[in-house]
Amino acid sequence: MNPVHPAAAAQASSVAPGDAILFAVMAAWVTFFAIFTITRRNPVTAVMSLVATFFGLAAIYASLSAHFLAVLQVLVYAGAIMVLFIFVVMILNREEVAPLALRPMRLLGVAGAVYLLVVVWRVVLRDGDLTGAPSVLPESFGTVASIGDILFKSFLYPFEAISLLLLVAIVGGVVVSRSHQKEAAALRAADYRKQIEHLATHDYPGEQSGKEEPSAAAGGHH
Amino acid sequence: MPTSYYLILSFVLFLIGTAGVLLRRNALIVLMGIELQINGGNLALLAFSRQLNDLKGHVFAFLIIALAAAEAAVGLAILVGLFRSRQTINLDEATLMKR
Repeated sequence: MNPVHPAAAAQASSVAPGDAILFAVMAAWVTFFAIFTITRRNPVTAVMSLVATFFGLAAIYASLSAHFLAVLQVLVYAGAIMVLFIFVVMILNREEVAPLALRPMRLLGVAGAVYLLVVVWRVVLRDGDLTGAPSVLPESFGTVASIGDILFKSFLYPFEAISLLLLVAIVGGVVVSRSHQKEAAALRAADYRKQIEHLATHDYPGEQSGKEEPSAAAGGHH
Repeated sequence: MPTSYYLILSFVLFLIGTAGVLLRRNALIVLMGIELQINGGNLALLAFSRQLNDLKGHVFAFLIIALAAAEAAVGLAILVGLFRSRQTINLDEATLMKR
């Protein structure tokens, strides 16, 4: 880390060395695998490093005494969402011709984001509240019981709204990705039926050689 | 650890996700970049939640995880639909609504 304020440096050095080493390892792990995710050409490798990123994040959540969220991160992200990604990667696995889209406007966007990082970095490290030791937490902070308590008392309506959102997402996913093969097959069947009817009301091809109708000959392939 | 380090890590995560969204052509990787961005935001929420000794940040992170699941499901469904109609997941070739 690169503190810009001497007071911040003095406060940061008061952290227990074990905690600092643990945080450094987890932060390096997460950053490395996040960069690995977006630079890999093979989507399967990218998904696997994304899983590694999420496991590292779960460890960081646990170090923030967000135990319930850490478990949820592993269950939902590393479990459910990643399985979804893997399935779609296996359906859509295509070689990329040129993976990077290095266009000036997009590079400008990334440069702006890097500048924002520098600004946030300076502001965050100058703020004495944020660089100091965090507040002393109650024993139940971040446990399933305490989060369930606040979730089902103060946040009941958002909780129900999110279940509605998941329902809409299920229906939307099914509708958007459904196969159009049945419609195409129905169209083909109607076409075929028309040709059969056409054949039935006309002479059979080849019965009287010499005066074959061109349309019947065309239908005779089927 | 002080909250500032967690905030910087969360911003770095968000930045990496943004770079993935902006610079990659493969729509799958772009979706993964969006997931990284969401996780960066979640990390900031949890860091402030601990800083302020307030569990509301945890509730919001919980709701955001559910939201990310819905987003991934719909996004991947759109990708499958795109692949069915255009035989590609290259975002530069998905120009049907551009003209």
